[in-house]
Formats: sequence, structure tokens, C-alpha cells
Amino acid sequence: MTVEPRFDELIHAPTRLSIVSLLTATEWAEFKYLRDQVGLSDSALSKQLTTLEEAGYVDIRKAFIGKRARTSVRLSALGRQAFAGHVAALQEIVARSGLAVLPDPVQAFSD
Amino acid sequence: MDLPRIPPVDAELALAEVRARRAEVVEADLVPAWFWPSIGGLMLLFVASVESGRPWLVATGSVAYAAGLAGLIVAFARRSRVQVRNRLIGVRGGLAIAAFTLVLVAAGLGLSFTLAALGVPAPATIGCVPVAAGLALGGPALMSHLRAVMLSRPLGGVR
Repeated sequence: MTVEPRFDELIHAPTRLSIVSLLTATEWAEFKYLRDQVGLSDSALSKQLTTLEEAGYVDIRKAFIGKRARTSVRLSALGRQAFAGHVAALQEIVARSGLAVLPDPVQAFSD
Repeated sequence: MDLPRIPPVDAELALAEVRARRAEVVEADLVPAWFWPSIGGLMLLFVASVESGRPWLVATGSVAYAAGLAGLIVAFARRSRVQVRNRLIGVRGGLAIAAFTLVLVAAGLGLSFTLAALGVPAPATIGCVPVAAGLALGGPALMSHLRAVMLSRPLGGVR
């Protein structure tokens, strides 16, 4: 199954691209993990996640482990679809320019 | 198709960022070093206690095994800050995990039954030693292989 290339301005913003790229390799990630990896303050990350949540790209959940509150974030099905389309669009741009000899094929995981 | 006019270099840089971020997740220390030897040690303890045939030792070993395993899982869950996407493992990764398990089980059972046939005392416990060692040494190797498999997956899968 191939993915229709679709450039996504919302995802392409550098900080959000980093966040979504991390999330696409995960089932879920802790808020603090994302904050540390991307190097943002709590409020800056919250703002970016709210933007993604409003677009329907991420789901944010709060849970308690013992007395500790844990906020976790996961990419929604819509978010995965949008990210796949965005990556396909980027690869298309690179392939058309001849920068890359063999662009990484975008396809749904077949196994 | 919806392609804006952004410079190809920018697109290439964005793809490099996507790859780098995925590698960060996959190469993180997802299973701590103490996990595999701990599992191996617990298994050895459990088998030895059961093989002893002494009721109090069997009971103690079983409780210690259950409590130890529960403790490991809780410690692991508390430590986890991220869970790698299951689909990244794919068929190749699944086969590697199955092969690793089958080799350990076959080695343990084969050695145990052979030792039992030869009349060696405590055959199951002795047979479990290479299994425990295999977990302690092979576990990290398996994780390393799985990381390589996950990084070889195409970017941007949707399902």
C-alpha cells in the first residue's frame, strides 16, 4: 500500500516535525520524554501539543502511577496518515530534484 | 498530489530530522541491562526450588519467583518513558524473537532430558543454566538486532 504525498504545513514547522517524528516511532511517549528530547520548556511543548491535538493529530492522556501523575502522548490514526503523506511529499520533492538517488519508499508497513 | 515549492535541500533536511528522531527512540535504552540477567536468575532459582522436591523450598521458590517477576515488571513500567511502536518490529523482528525463544527452550529441554537419561542429579537445574546464560548474554544481542531491524523500516508507515 502506497501513500498519497501530501505536504502538511502544520507538521512541517521544525518543532512539530521533531515531535511528530518522535511520536511516529512510538506507541506512546511521556510528556517529559518529549520535552527532554526536543529541548523545550513545559509551556512551549504544551502549546505545540495543543496545536497538534486541535488538528486531531495527537491524543493526550493523563494517568496516575501510584501518586505520580503521568501525561502521555500518542499519535492518532489521523496524525499517522498526515505524517505518512508529509514524508511522501518530502521524498517526492527530493526525488524530483535528483538530490537522492534512491528515495526511502513510503509505504504502509506490510508485515 | 499536493506539493509546495520548498527547496529540495529543506525537504532533505526535514527527512534527515525524521530519521534522526526515529533513531533516538529506537536506540534508547529501552530494556535496561539488569533486566535479562534478572530474568535468567529468577528462572534458575525457580527451577532449582521445584526440582528440590522439598515442599517448603518449592513454595518459597515459587513465591520468590512470582514476587521477583512482578517486581521486575513494575520497575520496568515505572522506568519506561516511551514505548517503541510494535509495528516497527515487523515479521523479521518477530521471527528473531521466536527463534531466540525456541533455541533457548530447545537447549534447556535437550540438555535436561539428556542429563536425566544419564542419571545426573538435578538435571533440570543444570539444564536451565545455559538458558539463564543465554538470556543474560543473548538478550542484549537480540535487542541490538531488533534495533537494526526497526531502523531499516521505511519512514512514514500509516497503519
